[in-house]
Amino acid sequence: MRQVEQKPLVEAIRLTKTYRGALFSHNDIQAVREVSLKIAPGETLGIVGESGCGKSTVARLLMGLEKPTSGVVLFQNVRIDCLPERKLRPIRSAFQMVFQDSGSSLNARKQVFDILREPMLYHKTVSAQEAPTRIDELLSMVGLPPETKYRYPHEFSGGQRQRICIARALSLQPKLIILDEPVSALDVSVQAQILNLLRDLQDTLGVAYLFIGHGLGAVHYISHLIAVMYRGRIVEYGDSEELFRHPAHPYTKALLDAAPATDFSQRNAPRVLLTGEASGDADEGGCDFEKRCPFACAACRNRPYELRPVADGSRHLASCRLAAEL
Amino acid sequence: MIPLLEIKNLDITFPHGSEQIRCTDRVGFSIDPGEILCIVGESGCGKSITALSVLHLLGRQGKVSGGEILYRGQNLLAMTDKQLDAIRGREISMIFQDIMASLNPVLSIGCQMTEGIRRHLGYGKRQANDMAVELLAKTGIQQPESMMRKYPHMLSGGMRQRVMIAMALACRPKLLIADEPTTALDVTIQMQIIQLLKSLRSEYGMAICMITHDIGVVVEMADRVVVMYAGQCVEKGDVRDVLEDPLHPYTQALLRSVPDVRASRGLRLQAIPGTVPENYQGIGGCRFAPRCVFAGSCTCENCEWEPDAYGHYARCCRAFENRQVPYAAS
Repeated sequence: MRQVEQKPLVEAIRLTKTYRGALFSHNDIQAVREVSLKIAPGETLGIVGESGCGKSTVARLLMGLEKPTSGVVLFQNVRIDCLPERKLRPIRSAFQMVFQDSGSSLNARKQVFDILREPMLYHKTVSAQEAPTRIDELLSMVGLPPETKYRYPHEFSGGQRQRICIARALSLQPKLIILDEPVSALDVSVQAQILNLLRDLQDTLGVAYLFIGHGLGAVHYISHLIAVMYRGRIVEYGDSEELFRHPAHPYTKALLDAAPATDFSQRNAPRVLLTGEASGDADEGGCDFEKRCPFACAACRNRPYELRPVADGSRHLASCRLAAEL
Repeated sequence: MIPLLEIKNLDITFPHGSEQIRCTDRVGFSIDPGEILCIVGESGCGKSITALSVLHLLGRQGKVSGGEILYRGQNLLAMTDKQLDAIRGREISMIFQDIMASLNPVLSIGCQMTEGIRRHLGYGKRQANDMAVELLAKTGIQQPESMMRKYPHMLSGGMRQRVMIAMALACRPKLLIADEPTTALDVTIQMQIIQLLKSLRSEYGMAICMITHDIGVVVEMADRVVVMYAGQCVEKGDVRDVLEDPLHPYTQALLRSVPDVRASRGLRLQAIPGTVPENYQGIGGCRFAPRCVFAGSCTCENCEWEPDAYGHYARCCRAFENRQVPYAAS
């Protein structure tokens, strides 16, 4: 079993990212607002939410691809959000990223062999002589035959390309892999293969994942912990099983109800359906979800955002005042 | 009952170099009036081109080399483009996955909506405008008048899809072909669109042919299902029969490989090994055989459709042996 309290591998404290609005516009866009999270070694944190909720921005902030407007990112207790690129580079080998579009994240003019060798030689994790053996090893780890190393990315199917991306991420023996919608573009049958592969790799290598997705089923399957984001904020955070079985925030409940049933017996089951869409209006204070929330009342409009335990001492956190009653 | 649309033994070929590639192999199914039929399959299985061929939208390259497409008894394939104009948009409408590409970015929504209405129904400007506003309101758009003046880039994906649906409904079509209309949308918006289509079906009494790769969409809205794999229909039947008692090993495997939020995460997903073959034309016999768990014991060269007493078909010689719940013959 996983230990409950471990020293976190990555920790984000009150991360905020504000983008300037359009030219001459006074509305800045708050993509991420005060997001705090921790990922322990060998653990998976899933982030779910609708498009535009800031989940990919969180990933980019953790990777150091964007600088936060305020807040802190700690990687093994070292603050990395303010490091210059030059100093960040040696640490970067410890956290890698896999993107949704495997086609455009692999260099089309390079053979798989070179794609996998380049990062290893750059970071000097292996010598040029050892590289070929390591490449064969990486390919077999992700379930591709070693003969395929002299092929080009276009000769592979989408699922196989995603395997190459995972192999490339693994080549530096990272402690954390950030997966930004890695299975969203794949066929159902292949999606299951990749999810199983990711789980097996975690079991053997002990790597931690940050898994971003909008398919609730996939996120639930792969994650130990889940953070639900809405308009740049985490509205609910907790153990994967617990959070989906007993959602404490009306938004999480609505997301679950909106997920199509996979079982015919659940067709036409009663559900709470959301109307409207997440608006990008400026923050007016109070609960962000109030306008779409079926349980909203006057008190919600003025209540400041706060992520609180659902029950005393619980790891399950929610930002709704009704959390304990839902 | 005479089916509204009947597709019989449809073969579609595309040129590849000097040879012709057969992308669908004797595809056949029918849609009754007012019914929701879901065609489900993975990418490249031929579900979209089958739908496109109904309205002659295959482009210059694609050719229908065999079979018939009958709309209320008339063969659509034999029609000229001029004759088809009376059917396209009027009797059969279509909506697509890539909504941004189906709306003109430089024309306002009002302009694009009224164009079809004026052309098909011969309405005047004012009348067409009123009708467009009414249709937009029907698809759940708040403040439809202001929507008429907006441009596609100002709308979110869900709103654009609503506009597309409103346009498709203009002439009260008997059949709406929807090619993955919810794939690019968020789950919450997807559910709104599914509910909208279902309510419009009961209000207008139109049939919907829904193309999807998402089993969830099938569960939520289908009356009947056609499962396609590698250019062939492999199973078809009533939605309940197909989902609760899948006969074809592919359907069975597909249903098992979907991660479910409501299931325990301790259970391992049963992925289908291998990938969909890219060049499936050359495969003789069963095209699923290389990935099929039963393939070793399967001796059949070319499995044909075998229906049961309830009109549930599967292209597998083991279909009725694999049956999970035995049916009593009626």
